[in-house]
Formats: sequence, structure tokens, C-alpha cells
Amino acid sequence: MSVAPTVSTERLTRRFGDLVAVDDVNLRVAPGQFFGFLGPNGAGKSTTIKMLTGLLAPSSGKIEILGLDLDAHPVEVKRQIGVVPEGMALFGRLTGAEFLSFAGRMYGLDRETAAKRAAELLEFMQLADQPKKLVTDYSHGMQKKLAMAAAVIHGPKVLFLDEPFEGVDAIAAGTLKSLLQRMIARGATIFLTSHVLEIVERLCSHVAIIHQGRLVAQGSLEELRAGVQAQGPAALPGDGVPPGERLTLEEIFLHIVGGTRRNEQELSWLG
Amino acid sequence: MENRKVISGQITAIANLRWQMFVNGLRSKRGKMELVSRILVTSAFALGGFGGFAAATGMSWYFVSHGNTAFLAIPLWSVLFFWQVFPVMANAFTNNPDSSELLRFPLTYRSYFLVRLAYGLADPASALGSVALLGVLIGATTARPALFPWACVVLVTFALFNLVLMQTIFAWIERWLAQRRTREIMGVLFILVTLSFQLIGPLIQHITHGSHPKLLRDLSILARVQSVLPPGLAADSIAQADSGNFFVGFTSLLFLATLTVAIGFFLHLRIRAQFRGENLNETAARPATRQVLPMQLGWHVPGFSQSVAAVFEKEVRYLSRSGPMLLTLIMPIFMLLIIRIGPMSALRHSGAMNRTPDTAFPGAAAYGLLILTNLVYNTFGGDSGGMQFFYASPVQFRHIILGKNLTHAAVLALTTIFAWFAVTYLYGAPHVAVTIATIAGLLFAAPLNFTAGNLLSIYSPKKRDFSTFGRQNVSQTTVLASMGLQVVIVGFGVVIFAIARLYKNLWIASALFLLLAVISIPIYIVVLRRMDRLVVERREMLLAELCRA
Repeated sequence: MSVAPTVSTERLTRRFGDLVAVDDVNLRVAPGQFFGFLGPNGAGKSTTIKMLTGLLAPSSGKIEILGLDLDAHPVEVKRQIGVVPEGMALFGRLTGAEFLSFAGRMYGLDRETAAKRAAELLEFMQLADQPKKLVTDYSHGMQKKLAMAAAVIHGPKVLFLDEPFEGVDAIAAGTLKSLLQRMIARGATIFLTSHVLEIVERLCSHVAIIHQGRLVAQGSLEELRAGVQAQGPAALPGDGVPPGERLTLEEIFLHIVGGTRRNEQELSWLG
Repeated sequence: MENRKVISGQITAIANLRWQMFVNGLRSKRGKMELVSRILVTSAFALGGFGGFAAATGMSWYFVSHGNTAFLAIPLWSVLFFWQVFPVMANAFTNNPDSSELLRFPLTYRSYFLVRLAYGLADPASALGSVALLGVLIGATTARPALFPWACVVLVTFALFNLVLMQTIFAWIERWLAQRRTREIMGVLFILVTLSFQLIGPLIQHITHGSHPKLLRDLSILARVQSVLPPGLAADSIAQADSGNFFVGFTSLLFLATLTVAIGFFLHLRIRAQFRGENLNETAARPATRQVLPMQLGWHVPGFSQSVAAVFEKEVRYLSRSGPMLLTLIMPIFMLLIIRIGPMSALRHSGAMNRTPDTAFPGAAAYGLLILTNLVYNTFGGDSGGMQFFYASPVQFRHIILGKNLTHAAVLALTTIFAWFAVTYLYGAPHVAVTIATIAGLLFAAPLNFTAGNLLSIYSPKKRDFSTFGRQNVSQTTVLASMGLQVVIVGFGVVIFAIARLYKNLWIASALFLLLAVISIPIYIVVLRRMDRLVVERREMLLAELCRA
């Protein structure tokens, strides 16, 4: 018996004028999965995640989160999810504690719980040592950590993260990964987009790849690897994979998405 | 030579950039609406400018043709006052874009300085001030054509002085308001200035009630003082040239030019600091020891949900951290002071307006509401990226907007209370009937403004930077709609007070305002209930405008 997906889309499409940014995408994310959503720049990753979190209306298609139709039950869905969008969604002129307490209350926590969790999250994220600092004065990495803390303060069942590791140093990335692994251990589902394929490979159990708005691959890493290898060595990038070695996610990604080599004569003035 | 070529190339590129931004802005329906609104607002300004031009021309012609060329100081003082005060009092109309974004390019300091001045020149106050100065030139030289070349040089110098002074005031106010410590010092200074205004009333009384020779002596002292200040120097320079004393006239001009350079030096200090990458954040240096604050509970607002209370708290915190916004909010009291020491003072002592408090209190309350429109009509402007948070959160937008409006109402209530005390302190207590009628008037006008403000915040949002002063990119559509609504509301107010005075019973005004409030409050509620749908419909435009880098 198949388990009902936590996140599912049906023929999800988004057009911007003549441009079809997301084209007929059918996604399935099962409960408890750490799901990586990959694609080259401009492939439609952020557009998809924005639609999944209610930040952008689809042109057509259906989105269900935790069995609820997002269009029909936006508030019920939002209550159960956490979001770190591309722009991080922070209020710059609050302190970290004020922002987290505010976020908690907006997600329905009472004042005491919101304040207590805010303090704990600041401590966990190593943001507690400058309590008077305004969010606008935080470094990029600190802002990422704070955005993540705000997304999890209400204990969401599903977490949507748009490029959570972009511009984050190794220490901050470690803290974020530790938090995400705790969430997964707790049974939450995580849906993330990232350009850093090594991180996705290490964290995610399942992956989907979008290219030019269309979903071109979806499944567990093993399934994707098997699919590429089944096409034979000629299909692999470079000289193929030495015997006994597994394909990396980067190799799988490059195989599926492809790439073009630039002419060496281009931009010759760069030296 | 090469350097000059680079500078001129950079300035041309910046002019092209602004033009291209303007043209690209017209691609959307909203951009076209903005253009129409801008044309209308500019037309209104042009009318005002024409009035100023006509007055300046007439006055200057009269003074020069009657041999009182030194009296040109009168229109020149008016120009100075308008040029410097208008942008501060009505910064919704200022057009002073943030030039610091240009610093990423290899711009020379000279180019950057010139760009700042050029941006200042595009400000409506500068444009209207320049038009008025042109009027002075035409008036004066029509009466005495030989004065043309000299008056031209003097008035251009005076215009330059005004331009530099305005930019300096803005740059320094922004600097002082940007950080907590300097903001506190400025707050104390403001209180001291406020208190010192109290000395002006008795001073004016002393002057106007003195004996005739004494009054003449006081006026001559005043004339001497003003003659060494820029408008006086400009007027004196033209007057001296008119009398054939070119050397003395040249000395006055030189003095005026020196003052311009001196003020320009202070501007240079600020712009150079910006050019070098000054960061005016409020963060204190990292403490040597770990600082832990006790856990702070969010605010509880009786009668409202958690989410409304949270938004209210967030809004109040934002306001309290925005020096420029706080300064704007105390403007009604500042206005009362200006009126107190200005024309009202003379009228009051002449008995022409022996019930000044009854006019001043409704006026100050109305001005308070007008100033609040800065916030109300662009309620999401300061949230920037936080707007994404609102969209992602499980809170209906009507509650978010209610929380914001609650803050606006609280600010209005506070401003009104302060205005009442200020009026009582400066003029005497207003009648109870006037006080009640004013409050009833606000009960009518505030919900209408909140309704229009909520709608315009969704249909015509603009990202706002709370830390800057007068460099806000305000939507002209909003400005126009807001002005239109204020005209209607003030019209209602004037008619209602006139009816009440006609029947010699001010309580009629309260009753009529309350009757109108019974209409405006349900309108507010109905529109608020529709906000969820409207905000979702406009989410792409709102997020694109507010979350842009």
C-alpha cells in the first residue's frame, strides 16, 4: 500500500507571459523524506518552491500539502509548514529574539512558549551573544540561521528551504545541517533547493531535477544512479566511471541536464 | 583631460541610467499610472510655482522701481524658508534618490558630489525655489534693466547656496537620526529649542507693544542682523550695485559665496564619509563579554488576538527605531510652534483671532493625521523582505493590517494628545466642545484614511527605508490619492465647523462628525474584510516591489 505523499503536485504550471517557467510538473514527496530539488539557474526551482509555499499563484495545476489542497486551505497548510524563501523573509529592524518571538506568535504559539523557544533557538544557532543587535546588522550567514530558526519555531511537519546553504560558511552550514537532521529524525519532511550538490548528496534521500521548467528526473539517489548507469558508459560524462566507483550526484546531474562547452575565443580580452 | 572625460562619461551614464529606469518603469500598468499621477502632482506644483513666480516678480519690481532694492531681502527670505523647510515638512514630495548605490562603480569623488547636487536640483523645492528666484530676477531687471548681469550672478549664487544648504541639512539630519546616541542628543536639542520658543512670544510682545521709536530701533537691529545672512547679503549686493557701489556689492556677493563654500564644506564632510563607505548601523561594538538578556515576553494587547498583538508590537518597535519617522510624527507640534511665533502671533495680539486654540487644536490634529499618511498609505513599505514572511505565515492579512492600523491609531491618539497639551501650553486650552468635535472628526477621518491607505498600500506599494530621511521613493499615485482624500475630509470639516458656528453651537459639529463616523467605520470594516482576497490577488506585484534588493 503506498503512503499518501506529504507534498504532491499535479500538472503544476506557471507562465510569465510567453515564458513557461514551470511546465506540467508532477512531484511526489513522501513523509519523512529529505528531498532535494535541483536544477540549473533559471530552471524553475524557486518558482516551484514559491508556488508550494503560497508565495506565488500557479497558472494551472494542483498542489497538495499534507493531504490538503493549498488553494482551498492556505491557512491550514501554512500552519503546518515552515518556509525559508529566497529572500529569507526577515524583519530587519527587530532584534533576533524579537523576530523569533514575533514569528512564533504569528504561528499561533502563546507568548511564553514563543519567547522560550526563541531563546533556545538563538542559543542553538549561536546567535544569542549579541541580543541587542538588529537583524539588518547580522551577517548573511547569521541571517540564514535566523530565517531557519523562524521557520522551525512552531515545529512544522514540512520544511521548505530555498537555497539554505547559499553564502553560508562551513560553521554555519554545520549548525544548519544539524538542525535539519534533527527535524528529519523527528519525522518531519524537508524539501530543499540547492546548487551545492555535495550537500544535497550527503543530506537528501530523494531528489528531483527540473530543467527548463520540466521535471526530468525524480526518485531516490540510487534510483537516479541506476537509471543513468543503465544507459551505458557512452551516456556518462567524461571518460565514464571507473569500475567499482559510484556515480556522484554531480555526474548524474550533468548527465541529465547536460552542458555546453564555451568557445575559447569568447571573451578573449579577459586575458 | 582624461579624468574629465571619464567624469563626464560617468555623469552621462548615470543620467542615462535614470532615464532608462524611468522608461522601463512605464512597461507596467502601475508605472503608467505613476506617470499620470506624477504629471498631475507636477501640474499642481507648477501652479504653486507660478504663484510664487508671480508674487516674486511683482514684489521685486515694486521694491526696485520704488528705490527700495534692499527690500528684495523679503522675497529672498521667503524663497530660503520655502526651499529649506518644505522638503523637511513634506518629504513625501521630495525627490532625492539614494545615490549611495552608485558607489560600487569606480566613481570619482567629484562625480559623486556632483551627482548628489544634481539629484538635489531635481527636488520640487529646488525647482520651485529656482522659479521664484527667476521671478525676482525678472521683476528686478524689468524695473532696472541695467541690473540684469549683476542680479543674475547674485541670484545664481543664492540658488547655489540654497541647494547646498538643503543637501547639507538632509545629509546631517540623516546622520544624526541614524544612530541611537546622536538621535537622543537631537531629541534633547529639539526639546531645548521647543522650550526656547517660549521666549519668542514675550519677545514679540515686547517688540510690538513697545514705543514707536523703540519699535523702529528693534526693527533696525533686525534689519542689520538679516543683512549679514544670505538673503540679506544677496539683496544688499544687488542694492549696492543699483546705487553704483559695485565694490561693496561685490563684497556682499563674496561673503555669500564664502558662506556657500563653508556650508558646502559641511556637505563635503558627509558625502566624503558616505563615499568612503560609511556604515551607519546601530550595532554597538562586539562586547568583550557575552551579553545575555532575560527572556522577554511579547506584548499582550487586550481584546486582540496573538497575531494582531504581535504585529502591533513589531510596528511599534519599527517606529521607535526609525529616527526620521519619529521626527515626522512630532511635526504637528513643530508646526504649532512655527505658527505660534509666525503670523498667528501678530493676529492673536491684535485680537483678530482671540480663539486661536479653537482653530489650532483641530488644525494640529488634522496635520497629525496628514503626517500619519506617510505610514498609513504605504503600510507594507518598511517590511521589505518581511512581506514574504507575512505571505508564508498562517495569519490572515486582515489581522496583519488590523495590527498595523492599531499602531497608526495609537500614534494618532498620542499625537492628538500631545497636540492638545501643546495648544493649551502655547495658546490656552481649547473649548471642550472643540476638543470633542475634533476627536469626533478624527473618528470620521481616520477610518477613511486607514481604508484608503490599506488599499493603496496594496495597489501602489513602495519599498521604504526607515533609516533614511527624504530619500524615500514615494508612489506619486499614493500621494495624489492621499491629497485628494485629505481635501475632501478637510472640506467636510470646514463645512461642519461653519454650520456649527452659524448656529453658534459647536456641539453640532461633534454630532455631525459622529454621524459621519457611523458611516466611515463600517466602510473600514467592510474593506478590511476584503483585504485577504485583495492581498493574495496582488501578491506577485507586492513581493516584487517590496522584496527587491
